[in-house]
Amino acid sequence: MERALTVDQRWDLVDRIAKETVEVGAYKPTLKDALAGITVNPWTGIPFAIAVLYGFWTFFGEFAGLFTDGFFVRIFGTHWIPFLGEKLAGLPDWAFTILVGDKAVFAEGFVGDPCFAAGGVLTTGLFMPFGIVLWAVLALFFVLAILEDTGYLPRLAVLIDTVMHKIGLHGFAIVPTLISLGCNVPGVTAARTLETRKQRFIMIALLGVFVPCGAQIGMMEELVPGMIGWVFLTLAIGYFVFGWVLNKIWPGESPEILMDVPPYRAPQWSNILRKTWMRTRHFLFVAVPFVLLGCAIVMVLYATGAMDAIASGLEGLLASVFGVPASATPSLMVGFLRKDLAIGLLPIGAMTNYQVFKSVILLSIYFPCLATFALLLRELNWKEILATLGFLVAMVFVFGGVLNLIGMAGGW
Amino acid sequence: MMNNRSTSGSIFAVIIGIAAIGFGILEFVGGEWGPLTVEAGTFTAWRAVILICAGLIYLSSVSNFMDIRQLAKSVVASIMIWIVAAMDIWAMIAASIPSGAEEAGEPWFASGTEFLAAYGPPYMPAIYLLIPSLVILYFVGKRRLAK
Repeated sequence: MERALTVDQRWDLVDRIAKETVEVGAYKPTLKDALAGITVNPWTGIPFAIAVLYGFWTFFGEFAGLFTDGFFVRIFGTHWIPFLGEKLAGLPDWAFTILVGDKAVFAEGFVGDPCFAAGGVLTTGLFMPFGIVLWAVLALFFVLAILEDTGYLPRLAVLIDTVMHKIGLHGFAIVPTLISLGCNVPGVTAARTLETRKQRFIMIALLGVFVPCGAQIGMMEELVPGMIGWVFLTLAIGYFVFGWVLNKIWPGESPEILMDVPPYRAPQWSNILRKTWMRTRHFLFVAVPFVLLGCAIVMVLYATGAMDAIASGLEGLLASVFGVPASATPSLMVGFLRKDLAIGLLPIGAMTNYQVFKSVILLSIYFPCLATFALLLRELNWKEILATLGFLVAMVFVFGGVLNLIGMAGGW
Repeated sequence: MMNNRSTSGSIFAVIIGIAAIGFGILEFVGGEWGPLTVEAGTFTAWRAVILICAGLIYLSSVSNFMDIRQLAKSVVASIMIWIVAAMDIWAMIAASIPSGAEEAGEPWFASGTEFLAAYGPPYMPAIYLLIPSLVILYFVGKRRLAK
């Protein structure tokens, strides 16, 4: 009869086999090995991560600014929009409003930026995706591909692992989070790599609510550049606080994992360019139609007078709970289609700085965009979808309400 | 066995470490001093923190400078400075290309003079640290040769 080995006997056996088969020599670490160690040591790794993220955001901001402010504001504002206003002036009013936008933009003495004020499908509808957002997402995807291919992203995951465990996730959750900063759709898909349903649910709920996409960030950079740091800080606080709450209340496991960290490598530029192009193409084909549709819906609602009725209906709720004026209603409505478009439609001139700040936060957290929501339906079961929706509603009221109270206390 | 000490390396780490900390403090203070300027912006505090941390990392690599782990610390600190300096240069390039004109009929691109003027002083602190920080490549090469 065979006798099973005890645990101690098994380890003895392992030791004997290892002694006979493994040759141990003195290993001299190379500079690459030493760099790999230093970038995951918190004392040196965190400052290095700050430098990398600084480079990430600065490159993105300057690149987008070069194309948007340097060329596209002028292409659209000085040439394209006036050209359309003149050539399509003969259209019936409703068609002009939908395609070109508000006629007041073309009146003499108009003060403002026609790129945003026009609002039509062929004016603002084209300016936002091609004049602003395309350059922002191109830069984000390019830098993200470099971070992935050099092997830095897994090291960032190791660095942030302890913090992520507090919200039921592990360090690799930083990968879907960073990808979501480009676009939430691939970010949500990347959440499949997490081990348990609980982790996937927490990750997807947080991505859909607290992580703005590149298009949104591009619009924030263009319209509210001075607030972007505060917006990110507020969203980061929400990400960790509500992640912690979800981890406490949602049943399931959050297991430890062993991470495989690849060595640093020089990136292959053909791979970087291919990845950047694939992700940008996804933006062009998935996001742009929603922006055009959003502009069309808003202008139809304006043309029929429905927008005024909706705005007056929501005025009480917006003013009392969130302290936001009714004129922000149109942007909140199209936020479901595209959040970047929604930010572009905010009546910034008619709001105080704090109201703009609250509105930008509200637009980020109140619902995922349509493309992300469609993906949630595929990735989550009905119970998780209902929980996500409940979480969203609670989030909007708690977070929006708290921000409003802070503003009232501060007299802003 | 390789000697891990290098007087020149340690002197380099001390000088550039102190300079990086000094420039980091200037980033916090803000202002213009002759050919040196600190423009206030969204990321000014980030730049300050990065330069000060780079300086501290250089200083922590002073003893046994040629030991691979110590040398790697200096390399990491240098990369941090290169990132900040590269972004400052990238901002200059981005600002030098468009003319900034908004009216129809005006040129789209900056003239040759405007283009070159965008690269003139004053410069941001990290740009002054860029060339001295490249000295780390000499020490990396020296260690490779010694092996």
